[in-house]
Amino acid sequence: MSDAQPRTVDPWRFTGSFLEKMLSSRIPDSPAYDPIPWTPVTKPLSESKLALLSTAGLSMRGDRPFDMDFERKNPTRGDPSWRALLADARSETVEANHLHIDTSYIARDLNVALPLDRARELVAEGRLGALAQTHYSTMGFQGSDTTTQEQQSAPEIAARMISDEVDLALLAPV
Amino acid sequence: MGLVARVIEAAGIPTVTLNMIWAYQNIVGMPRIAAIEHPFGRPYGDVGDAKTQRAVLEAALSVFETAQEPGHVEHLPFVWHESPKQTKWHPAEPSPIIALMQKRRS
Repeated sequence: MSDAQPRTVDPWRFTGSFLEKMLSSRIPDSPAYDPIPWTPVTKPLSESKLALLSTAGLSMRGDRPFDMDFERKNPTRGDPSWRALLADARSETVEANHLHIDTSYIARDLNVALPLDRARELVAEGRLGALAQTHYSTMGFQGSDTTTQEQQSAPEIAARMISDEVDLALLAPV
Repeated sequence: MGLVARVIEAAGIPTVTLNMIWAYQNIVGMPRIAAIEHPFGRPYGDVGDAKTQRAVLEAALSVFETAQEPGHVEHLPFVWHESPKQTKWHPAEPSPIIALMQKRRS
C-alpha cells in the first residue's frame, strides 16, 4: 500500500500520453499565479469540524443533477454549479454525473471520492472533532470558462461552510 | 478545483486539496496540496478498500498540521495496487471535448 521512502508523485502515471501532452503543455515551468491565500490552522484536528468537497459531479437523488446535456452541446464548457450533500449520503442516495471519468466506482462505494464513512470513523475515535452537516460537490471539467465557478459557486460554498461553522475543508478533484 | 480552494481559503477556512495532477500548482496556486498517485475517479482508494481510504484521508488531514506556508505540496507515499495498463478509469464514451478533438484530427 505504501512505502516508507520519500517519493515524488508522478502526475501523469494514469493519464496516458495523449492527455499528458495535452495537459502538461499548458503548465508553465515556474509559478504563474497571484499570491496564494492563506488561513492558518488554529485548532487541533481533534477539535475541528471538517467539510468534504468532491469534483465528481455528485448530487443527492431527487436534487437537480449536474447538467451533462449542456456539456454535450458545448464540449468546451462544463456545468459550473454546485450541490450540497448530506452528511449521511451514500452511494445509494447520491448520483454522479461526470463525462470524463468512469463513475461506476463511485456508484459502488462513495468513499472512493467522498469518504464520509471514513471521516465518521475518525470522529468516533476522537481523532477528528466533528463532521459538518453539509458537504459539497462541483463538476470538475470547466473547460475554457471558470468564471462562474470561481465568482459564484465557490463564494456560495464558502459562505455555506462559514454558516455551518466549518473549521477545515478537504477538497478532492477526481 | 484549485480555484475553489483559493476562494474558500480566502474566506477564512483552511483547505487541503488532495490532488493527482498536482503539477497544476504552477497555474493555480493552491494553499495546501496532498499529492496522490491514484487513478482519476478514485482519489481516496479503491471500492471497498476501507483501509486505504482511511489512510489517505488521515494523510491528507495531516497536511493541515504540517504545512507551514502557502503553496505547500506534500507527496503522499501511496502506490496504486494495479499498473496503469490494468487500471480502468476512462468513461465508456470519450468526453465531448476529447470526441471533438478526435473529430478535428481525423
